[in-house]
Amino acid sequence: MMYLWLKAFHIAAAMIWIGGILVASIVIAALPAPSGPQSDTALRIVRAARQWDLWATLPAMLLVWALGLMLAMVGHWFPSPWLMLKLPGVLALSALHGVLSGTLRRRAGGGDQGPPPPALLRYAALIVPPLVLAIAILAVAKPL
Amino acid sequence: MPSQMSQDLPNERAQLRRMRYVSLLEGTTLIALVFGAVPLKHVMGYAVATTIMGPIHGMAFLFYIWMLIQTMSGGNWSTRDTARLIVGAVIPFGAFANERLLRRKEMRLGGKHDRTAS
Repeated sequence: MMYLWLKAFHIAAAMIWIGGILVASIVIAALPAPSGPQSDTALRIVRAARQWDLWATLPAMLLVWALGLMLAMVGHWFPSPWLMLKLPGVLALSALHGVLSGTLRRRAGGGDQGPPPPALLRYAALIVPPLVLAIAILAVAKPL
Repeated sequence: MPSQMSQDLPNERAQLRRMRYVSLLEGTTLIALVFGAVPLKHVMGYAVATTIMGPIHGMAFLFYIWMLIQTMSGGNWSTRDTARLIVGAVIPFGAFANERLLRRKEMRLGGKHDRTAS
């Protein structure tokens, strides 16, 4: 029974986390180049995205990690192949979130933004869906 | 740090402070694991000690790396400082050395010296 409750909260946290990653990636892709002051509207949007990232997406990510670990231990899933394949995907998403979060933080500061973020960051939203699909298939279907 | 940071000083100082606290958390959990839980397991036979402390330190380490990525993504960090922060995360007491580096950077930005983190 505890396992099912852990799973429910883990999935809910993952949905909030992934949603937050997509919000951050779309906002960053839509911003103008970071050369000089931003418009008031752009600043309001990026600051709102930054607040959501800080208060919703980041706690959700930490919950995903903690509950995922607990699920793996309670379910004795280590070292199942599907889990060993899933973990790098989760780490990759976490790293992407870190880069997006840092970029949001810098852009929310206003004024001169320093060096521009990597150009590939504008396409971050394209990476998330296939990665999430792979993670879901591994976790639910457990093909390996 | 370069002058274009001048409008973001409170933001950068806050980020460095957060990075410091996470660094201390990571270092403390590593010490608790290596010098607390591992001896409890191998000397006293309490395997549950590492079963509990291991994942806690694992989470703290992951969060430390995540904060590192988030901080570096703001730009203006040298390869040397980046490498030092990563290496400091994996050796005992290294995180406390990192905390000193981060505190010096924070002070250079004009932050108060936070004696509670000493």
